Amino acid sequence: MSRIEIDSIRCKGCGRCITACPKDLIEFSQEINDRGYTYVDFTGHQEDCSGCTLCAVVCPDQGIEVWNFKDKQTFVNTTGLTENMTHYCPGCTHGVVHRITAEVLEELGLLDRTVGVAPVGCSVLAYEYFNIDMFEAAHGRAPAVATGAKRARPNLIVFTYQGDGDLASIGGNEILHAANRGEKITVIFVNNAIYGMTGGQMAPTSMPNQKTTTSPMGRDVETTGYPMRVSELLASLKTPAFIARGSAHDGKHSLKLKKLIRQAFEYQRDNTCFSFVEVLSTCPTNWGLSPDEADKWLETTMMPYYPLGIFKQPDVASPA
Amino acid sequence: MAKVLMKGNEALGEAAIRAGCVHFFGYPITPQTEVPEYLVKRLPEVGGAFVQAESEVASINMVYGAAGVGIKCLTSSSSPGISLMAEGMSYLAACELPCVIINIMRAGPGLGGILPSQSDYNQATKGHGHGDYELIVLAPASVQEAVDLMTLAFDLAEQYRNPVMICADGMIGQMMEPVEFPGEGRGEPFKPNDWELTGAKGRARRVVNSLFLAPEELFAHNIHLKEKYDRIHRDEMRSDLYGADEPYDLLLVAFGTMARISKTAIDEVRRDGLRVAMFRPITLNPYPTPALRAAMDAMGPSGKVLTVEMNMGQMVHDVRFAAEGSRTVDFYGTAGGIVPSPDQVAAKIRALIG
Repeated sequence: MSRIEIDSIRCKGCGRCITACPKDLIEFSQEINDRGYTYVDFTGHQEDCSGCTLCAVVCPDQGIEVWNFKDKQTFVNTTGLTENMTHYCPGCTHGVVHRITAEVLEELGLLDRTVGVAPVGCSVLAYEYFNIDMFEAAHGRAPAVATGAKRARPNLIVFTYQGDGDLASIGGNEILHAANRGEKITVIFVNNAIYGMTGGQMAPTSMPNQKTTTSPMGRDVETTGYPMRVSELLASLKTPAFIARGSAHDGKHSLKLKKLIRQAFEYQRDNTCFSFVEVLSTCPTNWGLSPDEADKWLETTMMPYYPLGIFKQPDVASPA
Repeated sequence: MAKVLMKGNEALGEAAIRAGCVHFFGYPITPQTEVPEYLVKRLPEVGGAFVQAESEVASINMVYGAAGVGIKCLTSSSSPGISLMAEGMSYLAACELPCVIINIMRAGPGLGGILPSQSDYNQATKGHGHGDYELIVLAPASVQEAVDLMTLAFDLAEQYRNPVMICADGMIGQMMEPVEFPGEGRGEPFKPNDWELTGAKGRARRVVNSLFLAPEELFAHNIHLKEKYDRIHRDEMRSDLYGADEPYDLLLVAFGTMARISKTAIDEVRRDGLRVAMFRPITLNPYPTPALRAAMDAMGPSGKVLTVEMNMGQMVHDVRFAAEGSRTVDFYGTAGGIVPSPDQVAAKIRALIG
């Protein structure tokens, strides 16, 4: 008999765990927590829990831990994150990407030699959440900051964590050239097809016809172009690199995403190449959708345009 | 060590290595390009790194990254490139990261020209990025002084955890002079400190950050920075007087190459019996206002002040500020890359007191 523990204080009531549970064992509580959120409760029969951990995998708020039938803890909150509760909206998958990144660094034993670079955008406060030495960079400049740090202290593991406005728009030059120089850094690129922090403006990655505050009639590709596929763009460079795209919209894809992020940091650890993982991510608030609807919108609207997979690997020959 | 004949830009590069800096991030722009061209050859010999950035925006942010991990680093540029670095300078100052930025000034505004100028005085001392911050700005008047100020620049950057700019006109960068370097090889790195990001091994994690969303916290940070700048203004003003041992009727004020040219002009008019001295600020920020005022007050009330610059009149406002209305301050300057000759400066002196 497996079991889970839900930290009702951390819970923002996004309900992603409810959707993820294959046995329908989690429900919204009738109560609200001290932060004003309707939290979730384990309401099923204890013997029905298989300990699959999907609820914890999709939780953006480090709110669930899991024990297997031998009472061995099989999902432990990573020490790579601080105990600070994030400012992210309920259901936003930034929390999932933070956790996966921190878990990988912890599992690879790299936490105490890593320096992260936070961007400007919703993840501007990432330095409050990653339990490691951190920079906060100017808007779009994180790859240049990471270049300076890595070239100055090559033994450090240096990564940037950037959103789509930061990386694909204002920081387009910095990411392109860091990749082209083959900087031995890792870039986690969170693509949620919108500017979050400033309140839902069109990003270079916004979908055709997507309504945002600066494309109120929907993105017009005639005047604003098509969504930018940054992974494919970077993969076209000759310089060896690891370039991949994953998604954080459900448990299965989050587990696959972790493998990609792990590979990316392994390439840096081994001083092999520039590594870049794009993560399709949700923004329920600015998309005007519930967390559940947002996860579905990502799968039905974003994923067909932004295919998942590995676009470039250092040991696979590049086109001449 | 024996003197060697070197171009100013190359001498600045070598001086940085002697000061312990072996990391350079920069982008080509005339008339400073010999700095990166020199360092790309030298830095690998001394165990450092050279990165040609994609832009000055990137260079200054690479400096932010390298300085943040506690490594002495340098960037250099010329006027339009310095404008692009303005954002990064604000962040560096806000995060109190030590580094050195060279500006080999060319004529502006806009793309301007590539010939020497001092038209970035206002930018260097009062401008560049946003927010309440200051850089320490040093202005050499010879290649040797440029070399000497490089050591001082890194020392001040480390002591005050603040970016330092070496603000030289294109003449200093491009001319060759015999110079003597301090030390033998690569100088010392930064001393052990409690701010560099090196990975949180066996200590609490550190953050390099300039975001303070709570106004009280930001205000406290502003006050902290202001107290530092006040210390800098109290302790680090530097200037030089020429010909002030004897009474003088005119005090000429000039910095960098213009001070040097003015010196020749002063020597020339003195042969005709005109009594002229020169005040030369070495720190453009902190501006040596008290020393300048004292040099003015050493003259009687009829004594005149003439500011000479390679621009349309920028430092002259600081000279007038020092005078506080006690006397008029005249200005002579040329711009566009035209360097005034000693004869032109002498003619202006004669027009005032001849």
